[in-house]
Amino acid sequence: MAVLHAWRAARVTPLGELHAPPRITAALLRLTVQVVLVWSLWRGLYAQTGSTAGLDRDQAVTYAVMAVLALRLRELDQYAGRDTVLQHMHFGTIVYWYLRPLPPQRYYALRALGEQLYGLAWALTGYAVCLAAGVVEPPESPAVAGVFAISMLLGQWVLYYVMLVIDQLCFFTLRNGAAMLILIFAQNLLAGVYAPLWFFPDWFITLSGFLPFQATLNVPLSLYVGRIPLSEAGAELAVQAAWVVALALFTRLVWWRAARRVISQGG
Amino acid sequence: MSGSIEVRDLSRTFHTTVRRPGFAGALRSLVNPQKVAKHAVSDVTFSVAPGELLALLGPNGAGKSTTIKMLTGILTPTAGEARVAGVVPYEERERNARNIGAVFGQRTQLWWDLPVRESFAILRDVYEVPKAEHAARLKEFDDLLDLSSFWDTRVRHLSLGQRVRCDLAAALLHDPQVVFLDEPTIGMDVVVKEQVREFLRHQVEERGRTVLLTTHDMTEVERLAERVVLINHGRLMLDGTLDEIRRKFGSTWQVRATLADAHTDAVPLPGIALLRQDGPRVVFGPDGPEAPTVHQALRAIIERYDVTDIAMDEADLEDVMRTAYVQAVGDA
Repeated sequence: MAVLHAWRAARVTPLGELHAPPRITAALLRLTVQVVLVWSLWRGLYAQTGSTAGLDRDQAVTYAVMAVLALRLRELDQYAGRDTVLQHMHFGTIVYWYLRPLPPQRYYALRALGEQLYGLAWALTGYAVCLAAGVVEPPESPAVAGVFAISMLLGQWVLYYVMLVIDQLCFFTLRNGAAMLILIFAQNLLAGVYAPLWFFPDWFITLSGFLPFQATLNVPLSLYVGRIPLSEAGAELAVQAAWVVALALFTRLVWWRAARRVISQGG
Repeated sequence: MSGSIEVRDLSRTFHTTVRRPGFAGALRSLVNPQKVAKHAVSDVTFSVAPGELLALLGPNGAGKSTTIKMLTGILTPTAGEARVAGVVPYEERERNARNIGAVFGQRTQLWWDLPVRESFAILRDVYEVPKAEHAARLKEFDDLLDLSSFWDTRVRHLSLGQRVRCDLAAALLHDPQVVFLDEPTIGMDVVVKEQVREFLRHQVEERGRTVLLTTHDMTEVERLAERVVLINHGRLMLDGTLDEIRRKFGSTWQVRATLADAHTDAVPLPGIALLRQDGPRVVFGPDGPEAPTVHQALRAIIERYDVTDIAMDEADLEDVMRTAYVQAVGDA
């Protein structure tokens, strides 16, 4: 099984970042500025009121800051490494993905896994610093922490598939810029990065329930801050798992179609 | 069968949409697209023996890259069949991948942000090459391509010549029996080109690899290939040795001789025409399709006449190929 031997492909992103110290400095600077701004914004918003939409100030700040930290999990400078599907299609190097004994979908998954683990290291470090500085609240109980960890894992899994669908678009359209912009906006809005979802009107929340985005971030963070009680966690985790299965099946089908397209066009 | 390439009646047709001119035409194309069939490769048949280097030649758009893509398994033929080292490449792509290596011109398979050696390590894992074997092969490639002077550099910082040398090594690290090289030396300086040629010669002669090479560099063809396949408009025009190609398309040699006896009237020889005579100075040229090579003509002239001076002009391979391409266009 080539996939077991090809674990080194997972190191591509972390190694590439470590070989580019300016990128690490820029990421650190950006993350710090974002956390400080978000922290200031939400504290300012809650200055005149003790509780809004069922959340107190500390819950809202914790949610918003953790959303910023979680963004680091996949918000890497992928273009710099010239290893996106878009770039491979553009430069004609996608042929090499089909010339190796490692199927392209396994290679893509390994690359994404490495990327997300590297992002996790950033997010965990940021979380530890924010926790020590009192910027975010600790989880209410070990049970909440455990459920949050499982939900976050499932959320990242869903996010992986959402990103994959956007990348797979390139096999058919050669470009995914517009889709990527829509995705970033929809992901941030519907996942609750810009603002927790319960600040939005009911119809918006109902609509977002039919999309996978809130499963990526809103659900785990809501569990963490206590907006979703532990008694409802099972149902939420089941919905997340259902998205994982549905998107896995869908992307599998698209990989098959993409391969057919490559071998009918010659890359 | 090991390491051989067998191609029989291979064809590939692409269907493209015709774009009509003008705004109204563009609108019509949008509403009612008109598809046309483009035959990129038509009924091409050839074979490459194990340990042989074959040059696949032809002008731009002739179908060379399409042929190579079918043989590497990344393109399915419309008709015909191909076997590479006993494997049908487009049916068993992963199995074929272990038998072949490929370099597509300036398109690198190395990881842009990583030092070259990291790319080699990833490929070692992907192809499951044992560490000791990988190290030995890397040393061999380093000796031939001088890789160690830059293999700790990130790929993005390499020159074109350095990158292509690394790509060649990357394509051969898993010890493939068959290697496909699609214009590997394009854009490289003469020193690096020579180094790459030396490397390829070594891989064919010492390692017994089968190489299918496409190039527009005729010096490369002359130095590396004994046999060439010429295709144009997707059709096979010629499959033969360089001498055969020269005989067919390169009959542009001239032999200028000075005869010892100024009063001798020169006469044509079999396959050799008398082009002109001015006193003792005589110019001979090829006569008809059965004309001898320039070296055979030299021997015949010296045997027939008492000459005090003799010189020859022979069209180089580039001239020969130009003639071949033009003639092929006319035939198509």
